[in-house]
Amino acid sequence: MVKGYLCLVLHGHLPFVRHPEHENFLEEDWFYEAITETYIPLISCFERLCEEKVDFRLTVTLSPTLISMLNDPLLQERYLKHINRLIELAHKEIERNSWQPAFQKLAIMYLNQFCKARDTFERYNRHLVRAFKNFQDAGKLEIMTCAATHGYLPLMDVCRASVRAQVKVAVSHYESVFGRKPRGMWLPECGYQPGHDEILKEAGIRYFFSDSHGVLHGTPRPKYGVFAPVYCKGTGVACFGRDLESSKQVWSSIEGYPGDYNYREFYRDIGFDLEYDYVRPYIHPDGVRINTGIKYYRITGNHSHKEPYVPEWAQETAAAHAGNFMFNRQKQAEYLYDFMKKPPMLVSPYDAELFGHWWYEGPLWLDFLMRKIVFDQDELRLITPSEYLAENRRHQVITPSLSSWGWKGYSEMWLQGPNDWIYRHLHVASDRMTELAKDFPHADGLLKRALNQALRELLLAQSSDWAFIMGTGTHTSYAVRRTKEHLLRFSRLFEDIKSNSIDPNWLSDIEYKDNIFPQIDYRVHQ
Amino acid sequence: MALLRKIKQKIKDLVQKEKVRKQEAKRKRAESREIKKEILGAQEMAVEQTKFSHPETAPFRRTFPTDLPYQYDRDRIVLQVRDPRWIHAYWEISASMIERLKNNLRDDFFDAKRVLRVYDVSDIIFNGENAHRFFDIQVNEFANNWYINTEGPDRSWCVDFGLLLVSGRFVTILRSNTVRTPLEGPSWITDEEWMIPEDMFARLYGMGFGLGRSSPVGKAWQERVKQLLFSGAMASPGMASMASPVKKELKRRQFWLLVDCELIVYGATEPNAKVSVSGREVALRPDGTFTLRFALPDGRQVMPVKAVSSDKMEERTITPVVSRETKISCSVKE
Repeated sequence: MVKGYLCLVLHGHLPFVRHPEHENFLEEDWFYEAITETYIPLISCFERLCEEKVDFRLTVTLSPTLISMLNDPLLQERYLKHINRLIELAHKEIERNSWQPAFQKLAIMYLNQFCKARDTFERYNRHLVRAFKNFQDAGKLEIMTCAATHGYLPLMDVCRASVRAQVKVAVSHYESVFGRKPRGMWLPECGYQPGHDEILKEAGIRYFFSDSHGVLHGTPRPKYGVFAPVYCKGTGVACFGRDLESSKQVWSSIEGYPGDYNYREFYRDIGFDLEYDYVRPYIHPDGVRINTGIKYYRITGNHSHKEPYVPEWAQETAAAHAGNFMFNRQKQAEYLYDFMKKPPMLVSPYDAELFGHWWYEGPLWLDFLMRKIVFDQDELRLITPSEYLAENRRHQVITPSLSSWGWKGYSEMWLQGPNDWIYRHLHVASDRMTELAKDFPHADGLLKRALNQALRELLLAQSSDWAFIMGTGTHTSYAVRRTKEHLLRFSRLFEDIKSNSIDPNWLSDIEYKDNIFPQIDYRVHQ
Repeated sequence: MALLRKIKQKIKDLVQKEKVRKQEAKRKRAESREIKKEILGAQEMAVEQTKFSHPETAPFRRTFPTDLPYQYDRDRIVLQVRDPRWIHAYWEISASMIERLKNNLRDDFFDAKRVLRVYDVSDIIFNGENAHRFFDIQVNEFANNWYINTEGPDRSWCVDFGLLLVSGRFVTILRSNTVRTPLEGPSWITDEEWMIPEDMFARLYGMGFGLGRSSPVGKAWQERVKQLLFSGAMASPGMASMASPVKKELKRRQFWLLVDCELIVYGATEPNAKVSVSGREVALRPDGTFTLRFALPDGRQVMPVKAVSSDKMEERTITPVVSRETKISCSVKE
């Protein structure tokens, strides 16, 4: 008998980083690493489950920027180069470790992983988004969209036209990729501002997620807490609150699963560990040491001494942790069922990049967990938000509270000393974009191109990632540069459009560089 | 008081005059340099220019700034919510506005304090007069943004930027948007409202639902969730993919030393010969040379390198024997 629902959510997002003007761009590696370590292992996991007829359910976000990068021919070409280099390195490692069988075994493991990644990549004709689409069409996966460039919406509230553009551009982009409208939207960083549900409703979005306190501190008090969705007052858009207990088990670096001593150590990469001349061809061309993805050690313990990784032990641990996670959810569901008198909805959202990239065994854990839940018990049922809403129509109406899942739970991560300067520029740009959209209701030709590009530049400047990186205080120069670059491009477009002096060569150049959202329509910014 | 003000103004005027004089001199100097340069460097410039001519580069009609402007010559103050207790204001005042104020207020302008007046405007339509309460924050001339501790979750706020004159009169220059800080805990309002979306309602109407308006949610888990919320456990690590991977290791600030050994085995033979090392075949470069690289663990390694001629008539074997022994010693001075 079903005592509770479990809705696992993986939020996949990377900012739009694509530099055709540079042969090698360090920040593009974020994307290549995520493909090899997260997206492809997840695809492989779903493929295995489908082949073995495991009726699983999972909800994922693919942010519009991530989809755009996954579908970009230049980045696809570069990824292939990247993975080929890794394969070459893995071959060398197998030979180099001839006298160290424990490491040689791992080098072979990596070689297999990289070859498999390349095979998968080529099997989908380099379009990994198609893989996700297939799983959605098969009814196993529900793919949500996210704001167009992952703009942090609460700090855009003074310019609702920009919030609307972030939402509407995302929705039409999703439609062009998946051939249907998105049902849900992952609000970037779970940043919810009361009133933004109106814009979601306009765009046809039926649900979103908030952090626990977004629902718990809503008004009036939610009867079932975060264990049932609520409808936003006035719009009826559903809001699912995060269950903190299940989140913590996976997220927490101390008590969480990923810190287990048998799991792979993230910080010991041969890009840093091996002799310089040897790894030189596989690190950054400027000679900066970077992660290669080949890591030989397990976490071992709470000290700097590390022992070689033993895949079998890690696998057993992942299986045990999957069992533990399921057991805890069953107990939680039983406990809640007792006084709710109906099955609770447990929502566990995670950054997709946590799985595989940070927590190497994450995709394996997910695989075990899905199987166990589907085959070993009948108290918990995996569900997607859409399924849940279709089956359970009656919910409480509240106004959720302003909240995010970021540091301290509100907007401070994106509004603090190192990044608060951006808003005076972003907001002026938003106002100017609104002005342009109003001034030119029917543009075509060069003018239309310029207006569309202006909106692209504005959206790119709004990515929450830049403010986030500035807020962390390390490696901030790229984030500052990107913010300024897009704002400057926007300003110039604004002035050129206003003075009727658009430079077609320069416009072509930035259209080529910032080529995201080819179908964009500037008129959504109002 | 009036005298003091006059002296102040006098000094200001003097300083201003001096500034203008200096600027004038600077401009003149620059001009004369320009002229000289034009005569002296004309040829060099012309030659250097030819280095950079490029048929494809589009001509730039005018130069564009490479950095963002300091401000936009607007009169605007914007309020945003940081968390239940703190709000952030940023503002800018146009030069013309400053001029107008100076003209209108004359001496009063220079003696006035720059002030943020923070109004509690919860549940009212604010007209400038009817705030529940307000408090002032004095800011200096150069400040253009401020974090304001309202100490008031679940309230609405509006902020005026203005001048507080010596007479006590407050002159509003800018008025902000209104923001509302979120609740810091669960709502006290427990009136429940339930909804079934219209489209389904017709179908479900009359089928009856088992959900009553019974007891509010059990206290136990609410307390538990609240504890989690405020113990800082809620902060997610966020985008691990973007954090510097080396940083964490370095932060421990423990002294450390890592030493490892690798062995390079290399050689040469006839380019068409077959070479194997420890029984495994090795690829030769076109010139017949080969290089192998091994991680060298402690112990004795024996690696027979065997070459066989292409006609298989001749065979040579050379066997390097290498042993590694590692000793470790540590000492800490008090």
